[in-house]
Amino acid sequence: METIKNALDFSDFPRLDLTVAGAVALCLIIFPLFPLSSFAMSTMIQFLMFALYGMGWNTIGGYGGQVDLGKAQYVGIGAYTTAVMLIRWDIPFWVSMPIGVCFAVTWSFIIGYPLFRLKGHYFAIATIATSLVLKDIFEVWEFVGAARGLEISPIKYHPPDFLRLIFREDIYYFYFILGFFFLGILYINWFRKSRLGYQLRSIKDNEDMARSLGINVHWAKIKTYAIATGFVSVVGSFHACYIKNIEPEDTMSLDISILIALMAMLGGAGSLWGPIIGAGILIPLKSYLKEWLGAQAGLVGIDLILYALIIMLISAYEPRGVWGIIEKIRRRKRA
Amino acid sequence: MDILVSSLFAGLLIGMVLALVALGLTIIFGVMDIVNFAHGEFLMIGMYTGLLTAQATGVDPLFTLPVAGAVGFALGIICYYGFIKFVMRGPMVAQLLGTFGLMLFLRNLALLIFGSEDRSLHHGVLVGKSFELGMGIIIPATKLAAAGLSVAAFVAVWLLMNRTKVGKALTATALNPQGARYMGIPTERMNALAWGIGGGSATIAGALIVNFWSVNPFVGLLFTMIAFAIVALGGFGSVPGAFFAGLVVGLITEIPGFWDFMSYTFEFEWMMDVPMTSFKYMWVYVAYFVIMVFRPRGLFGWKQ
Repeated sequence: METIKNALDFSDFPRLDLTVAGAVALCLIIFPLFPLSSFAMSTMIQFLMFALYGMGWNTIGGYGGQVDLGKAQYVGIGAYTTAVMLIRWDIPFWVSMPIGVCFAVTWSFIIGYPLFRLKGHYFAIATIATSLVLKDIFEVWEFVGAARGLEISPIKYHPPDFLRLIFREDIYYFYFILGFFFLGILYINWFRKSRLGYQLRSIKDNEDMARSLGINVHWAKIKTYAIATGFVSVVGSFHACYIKNIEPEDTMSLDISILIALMAMLGGAGSLWGPIIGAGILIPLKSYLKEWLGAQAGLVGIDLILYALIIMLISAYEPRGVWGIIEKIRRRKRA
Repeated sequence: MDILVSSLFAGLLIGMVLALVALGLTIIFGVMDIVNFAHGEFLMIGMYTGLLTAQATGVDPLFTLPVAGAVGFALGIICYYGFIKFVMRGPMVAQLLGTFGLMLFLRNLALLIFGSEDRSLHHGVLVGKSFELGMGIIIPATKLAAAGLSVAAFVAVWLLMNRTKVGKALTATALNPQGARYMGIPTERMNALAWGIGGGSATIAGALIVNFWSVNPFVGLLFTMIAFAIVALGGFGSVPGAFFAGLVVGLITEIPGFWDFMSYTFEFEWMMDVPMTSFKYMWVYVAYFVIMVFRPRGLFGWKQ
């Protein structure tokens, strides 16, 4: 009871923030009522998925300050668990998703224990290395379809199938991921005020000090890493049902890991709204740039060039992201 | 047995080239504590420079090294003054993602300009020739020349770092930037120089590699990861460490091929199902992970 009350309690934000957040939430709920192209719809679903990935990354990377660049491996674990179980044994999404989370969390404990002995750059590169190892294994593992990947054919099922999450129209997927999105926000809202949340922030500020206060730093990091993993894995399972065609290259590549971290950083790492703002800016930008400049004007790669320029500008001028800018303006107003 | 010796040789030769790839990364890391994700992209640019210069002027690919080196040096310095200098003010996350942005930028610029198809060299004095050392060991001349020239480049950089005043200034900046500034060393310029040397050695390595490796805009990441593994194994910031670790990593990449050969020769059914060569680079990453966890300083490292 106490937990739920805490999760629903947003009272420490200024009223303006809450008004804006409420308005955005309302817009999201009625979004499918507008007559929109299917392209806009799929961009919106992508946005919600990446906002959730970003929220997961934000627990360990934002509140904890541990730069993790290997989140894609958990997207892969979640997606593959769901896809393999559905194709081979016809196990519905609602069963395979928790199993996927279990696999991902177990794997995160196995590699997290040695990983968190490292710090800074060393940690970041080691997470990339584990992610690439897993991707290499999946690329030759026949059981999961090797480099060809897996395909869920919707013809075998009778959409709309709410148990297996197989639909023909994107609108169902939209509402499902929107539900996950709101749950995710509530969870993070609880998390940031929980014991672990405070422990993490003190670790980020000064690790030695945190240790001297009796916080088990290593264990706190591992636990948070597992939470982040759980988030990413759930969305990974959803990804398998939504995209229906998964390959190691587009679920587990380094680009996905970086995109996840980037989104949280662009919006403002270590704040509740940061990853959502970041995803809201980057995902539409990325897919529309690709559509206009890449596909229509025939300039291959120019979308990613602009996108790289944004990354470079953000990291050079405002590493605290959009939320950092907002806070700076607010502080100036108050002073 | 021949195959074993032959793959050992091949591993050592490729290892010498890979060591040169990692050299730039270890210098940049040693001097300014920043991990350069764009390193493989510098190498890719070196490969294109070597290839295009050789094709445009008709000279032998091996003589394009000075051009590639100059391009890399300039590129490194431009990157430092234009971008890295600003990123260094921010936290570590910003540095990691900043150099990653640089990598994406260079890669996609190459994609826009050169297109995505594979290109490779077809002419040159050494292309297609090979030596036989007896005992069935065949060494492609291009690889031998590449290995020899990388060792030469390596020695040159080592001499620069250890026997000249500039090298001493670089080392001082690496050890203690503030102290170095008090001693009148222009640390800003030293950082730029480190990026110049780093970029130059990567592009030279690229111009050597293009003799036996086809190039496309996406080739960089593999080399970045290999270079990370080498630098971790040798110790971040250690120049001789990078050389020995390069040899070790070269061997790691060649041994799976030998393993596959064994399984075909002796017809081990269970081993033939999954050819080990498809895991070739996975072992490099595994090696990186194991080294990082058990000996974060690397074999010769002095920075923790």
